[in-house]
Amino acid sequence: MDFRFSDDQLTLAEGVRDYLAGTHGPEVLRRLDEQGNRDPAIWQGLVDMGLTGLCVPEAQGGLGVGLPEAALIAAECGRACLAEPLVDTAFVGVPWLVAQGKLDGLEDVVAGTRRVPVAHAINPWEADGAGAALTSVDPLRNLTAAGQTSDDPHLLNLGALMSAAQLVGLADAMLHQAVEYAKIRTQFGQPVGAFQGLKHQLASCSVAIEFAKPVVWRAAQAMQDRLDSAPVHVSHAKVAASDAAMLTAETAIQVHGAMGYTYEVDLHFWMKRSWALCGAWGDRAYHLKRVDDAVLGGTLPIGPEHTFA
Amino acid sequence: MKLGFSAAEEEFRAECADWLQGQMAGEFKDIKGITTLTAKAERRKEWEQQLAAHKWSCIGWPEKWGGRNATLAQQVIFAEEYARAGVPGRVNHIGIELAGPTILAFGTEEQKQRFLPGIAAGQTIFCQGFSEPGAGSDLASVRTKGRLENGEWVVNGQKIWTSLAHISDWIFVVTRTEEGSKGPKGLSFLMMDVKQPGIEIRGIKQINGDAEFNETFFTDARCPEDSMIGAVGQGWQIAMGLLAFERGVSTLGQQMAFRNELDEIIAAAKANGQAKNPLIRQRIAKAEIGLRLMRYGALRMLSNTDHSKIDGAALTYKIQWATWRRGLGELAMDVLGQAGELAHGSEYEWDVLPNLFLFSRSDTIYGGTNQIQRNLIAERGLGMPREPRGDL
Repeated sequence: MDFRFSDDQLTLAEGVRDYLAGTHGPEVLRRLDEQGNRDPAIWQGLVDMGLTGLCVPEAQGGLGVGLPEAALIAAECGRACLAEPLVDTAFVGVPWLVAQGKLDGLEDVVAGTRRVPVAHAINPWEADGAGAALTSVDPLRNLTAAGQTSDDPHLLNLGALMSAAQLVGLADAMLHQAVEYAKIRTQFGQPVGAFQGLKHQLASCSVAIEFAKPVVWRAAQAMQDRLDSAPVHVSHAKVAASDAAMLTAETAIQVHGAMGYTYEVDLHFWMKRSWALCGAWGDRAYHLKRVDDAVLGGTLPIGPEHTFA
Repeated sequence: MKLGFSAAEEEFRAECADWLQGQMAGEFKDIKGITTLTAKAERRKEWEQQLAAHKWSCIGWPEKWGGRNATLAQQVIFAEEYARAGVPGRVNHIGIELAGPTILAFGTEEQKQRFLPGIAAGQTIFCQGFSEPGAGSDLASVRTKGRLENGEWVVNGQKIWTSLAHISDWIFVVTRTEEGSKGPKGLSFLMMDVKQPGIEIRGIKQINGDAEFNETFFTDARCPEDSMIGAVGQGWQIAMGLLAFERGVSTLGQQMAFRNELDEIIAAAKANGQAKNPLIRQRIAKAEIGLRLMRYGALRMLSNTDHSKIDGAALTYKIQWATWRRGLGELAMDVLGQAGELAHGSEYEWDVLPNLFLFSRSDTIYGGTNQIQRNLIAERGLGMPREPRGDL
């Protein structure tokens, strides 16, 4: 038992983080919002990094890595507030197709010319699907109503897992913005971050985020290993990540004071994405009910005769 | 990331479970399931010795000192099986988890030889002399004084909240050895024999009726000069090193005990029909999620092999489990309803869940209150400005 990521896994995630930090900052989000929200150069950059082929088997020209790595990268996409449908296509759609043995044409996903729109009865909207985009609270996402939806639970679990992973990255980014602001904004002759009334709220966000992350990684590994208990792990992760992100979003706005309510502060891009993803692929109530059913309905092995895995 | 256990580890688990369950069904049947820290103290000292006799008392220590050099996974497994078998908490927890590792890390070879065999053998029970009436959250404002006199340290002052002092043999004491010093400077870390005329112990009764902790008075209490861990004036550094051990492996056994408590609540809810109440169901589901957060959070924290480096995740651990468990006590009472306010034993004795409700009030206070934890997380973890402090 070892709960660490390998150096290779961490290096991969850091590479993506650095790349996105360098090419996809808040000024890019503003440009996309104001001048049209899709820029082919951004997608091409992701393709050139090999990210569209991350979960595509090596025989089809991809990197063939597993869901834990994909979840790490999805968290980086959240941190950068990336709106391109990379996570949906490459980390939800591709693993779903691979699980069904549908390997034809995955080379085109690697090359960036094919997207894999995915929709589930619980989540009947496709990221960057065909047709006109619906107006969303998140100005950078392009959701379309799906013509056809699947009811495959594996797809739902993949979608929920990768939403949770993005949410912990989003939460990290919002906490960082709030902490940095609290260090420089002064009132009553000192940085507002020195006041306990404010720092304790940010500390609570840090607690929620740090404890949500390992649950997300655990869920990714459970999905990778196709454990029977994987759906419950995914629901744990989705609820914990949603709670962490929403707590951090509301706290970060509060910390920014009236500025936090303005378009001028970047925070709202992350806050809106968080809100959107909390409801995606099964909302909080849906996933809480799955945990509830497992615990009280007897499908989760608990009690003195079991260890907890 | 490798989340399963290997075949060898599963074999080790079976060995642990077999031995522990055998003990709880056999010779030590009478202590099985005890949840307070003080009940049947003498039998529990014998249990410490029984663990030692079978080399289970300090498996994470080096073999040279009576341990097994156990891997992290093995320590996790042992802690889990320990709790799962219904074995009561260790009365020498402080010796095994705190004093021992501190001596191993900072003690001289002679001090290791003097103290470690007794701790490992379950013969030397330790308690911790940190807090004082005027030094609680502000631990560095310790006033208990130590002065050197004819080759002995002579200590005067008072400690408080000294858990299990009344059944302990030794105490480690943070004392102010530099006259006129303030704050973390001028403190030293002494090992003292509790059973001497200069040390007086008075029990403090708690809201759950137990008396686990004590006031400890020092009146010209003495120890040899070479009973100091580290150098004169290094006491704060040693004390902080010790507190880092507190976040160690013991947390995993604690979680299995939490698992047992939550399972007991679930069983109670099924028995009295509250499991059909949607509000209760949702809170049980949330409690389950919270337990998983701790579980994987602790495993991640412990997988970080460099324990000297306290990262943001490690800082967040205490407040998470303490707050979760306080909520668990509240959930237990809401599941039991009015029946939870009535004792069911033949004598006046708290049942497990009402005791959990009362005891868990202390979780968010001892070892650093939730407020102190948030200061630490914000200032050390997030790098936020320190709040203004008064003159020391």
